[in-house]
Amino acid sequence: MDHSKQTQYSSNEKKDAGASSSVLNGHFDGMVKRPAGGTGRAAASQPPGAESSSHRPAASVMESWREERTRSVEDNEMSLPSLAAAYTTILRGLGEDPQRQGLLKTPWRAATAMQFFTKGYQEKIIDVLNDAIFDEDHDEMVIVKDIDMFSMCEHHLVPIFGRVHIGYLPNKRVLGLSKLARIVEIYSRRLQVQERLTKQIAVAITEALQPTGVGVVIEATHMCMVMRGVQKMNSKTVTSTMLGVFREDPKTRDEFLTLIRS
Amino acid sequence: MIVSRHIEEVQHRLKGFSSAFKTWDLSSSGRLIEQLTTVCPAASFIESNRRARMEFHCASAMNGKAPAVTKLSKCRESKDSCKEGKDSKKGADSTELVCIEKAYCTILSELGENTEREGLLRTPLRAAKAMQFLTKGYKETIHDILNDAIFDENHDEVVVVKDIDLFSLCEHHLVPFFGKAHIAYLPNKKVVGLSKLARIVEIFSRRLQVQERLTKQIATAIEEALEPVGVAVVIEAVHMCMVMRGVNKMNAKTVTSTMLGLYQKDPKTREEFFSLTMRK
Repeated sequence: MDHSKQTQYSSNEKKDAGASSSVLNGHFDGMVKRPAGGTGRAAASQPPGAESSSHRPAASVMESWREERTRSVEDNEMSLPSLAAAYTTILRGLGEDPQRQGLLKTPWRAATAMQFFTKGYQEKIIDVLNDAIFDEDHDEMVIVKDIDMFSMCEHHLVPIFGRVHIGYLPNKRVLGLSKLARIVEIYSRRLQVQERLTKQIAVAITEALQPTGVGVVIEATHMCMVMRGVQKMNSKTVTSTMLGVFREDPKTRDEFLTLIRS
Repeated sequence: MIVSRHIEEVQHRLKGFSSAFKTWDLSSSGRLIEQLTTVCPAASFIESNRRARMEFHCASAMNGKAPAVTKLSKCRESKDSCKEGKDSKKGADSTELVCIEKAYCTILSELGENTEREGLLRTPLRAAKAMQFLTKGYKETIHDILNDAIFDENHDEVVVVKDIDLFSLCEHHLVPFFGKAHIAYLPNKKVVGLSKLARIVEIFSRRLQVQERLTKQIATAIEEALEPVGVAVVIEAVHMCMVMRGVNKMNAKTVTSTMLGLYQKDPKTREEFFSLTMRK
């Protein structure tokens, strides 16, 4: 298991040195971005990650953030024309006239917007966290609540938005407070499922700080339920992940949940 | 001169259509124009200057093709009688769905995602259907929903329907904006079923929109249907293109309004509307 992880890590490193690879929401069985010729995609559709991830089922989504690889700014620029063409097709398919004044630049704007909504693929946790972990003799609960969160539903590609509340019990190491919000940003600006998002945030904090416990609660509104489908305007979805002492000790959990409600 | 040329052109086009359309009396221009107005908004240009200008403006903003034009062109393409119109329309719908689905596949892969992973396997189809639902207003007509629900009623006081939930798509970024619409009108012997006001909002909001145009389209539709003494429409909405991206302003709301008839002329009537709808 470890050996395959290392192999994966080193082979991803190599890929990173050449054309950049992309990791999808923590998965490794993602496509490698095409080289300049644009024909490499088919050949690269079986990156080494795919082989080892078959040995690890759903756990692959919880891969360590240290091993994530990202989409690059160059990838974004290269993808823009195809994205814009795809959006033009969508506009035509919906019965609109892409040549009318209001829609002339819409494919480009929509493509850029979508790249922004998935910019979490471009960022690495390790870059965000590296400098902001401090040794501090503090072992009381630290909570950052009401962090606005915007994500995209991976099933319907419509927005999800809500608030994230994070609490952790430090174990001699604390994290810069805004870094908690940045971790939320990185994972939420992707195609997501709320359950996975919650867990990824909690796991990232656990791996970075090795705290005594972490609790993450997300309450969000899903436009896929509000704007379409069941059309329930006021429904909210609440998910939580409790790790360490937050999971084992009900009183700690209770304290956290009370503090985020107040 | 311009009017007669336009009629000739339309007549010329209509002559090429299937026998189903020959029930229209082409020799009677007045009736033709009335009938044409329901299928081709641009023809209302002929009807009355001010109203036609507004409607033409709305149509020429081309918030999608007018749905009946689509139906016409489909029939024309099928070259058969309109009995097959429905089938060809369904076929066209599913062809469009496939195109949109393929476009979403491209989008997912260009964003760097793995389209083969479990969570994304059917996403292109779901996203395509979702997008079609969110723009279903293109396929609906005011004529269909309003036809039966206009009643003669001796009521000349204001009728307000407020807090109508509204969901639309920004035509610039293709992200949602949502909020509430407040509608008021002063009837002139004709009232409309209350839910029809909400349905009018639905028809125009389920399109690629700009909030200003949406507000105007709703007001114009009510004015044309009921010919009331005055119509007022106010929409307050939150635009995800401002909240989720760009300036990232979470709490910003956009408020637009259209005042027609007495609401435009009389400040006191307007004030009464605002006090009924906007005060919390």
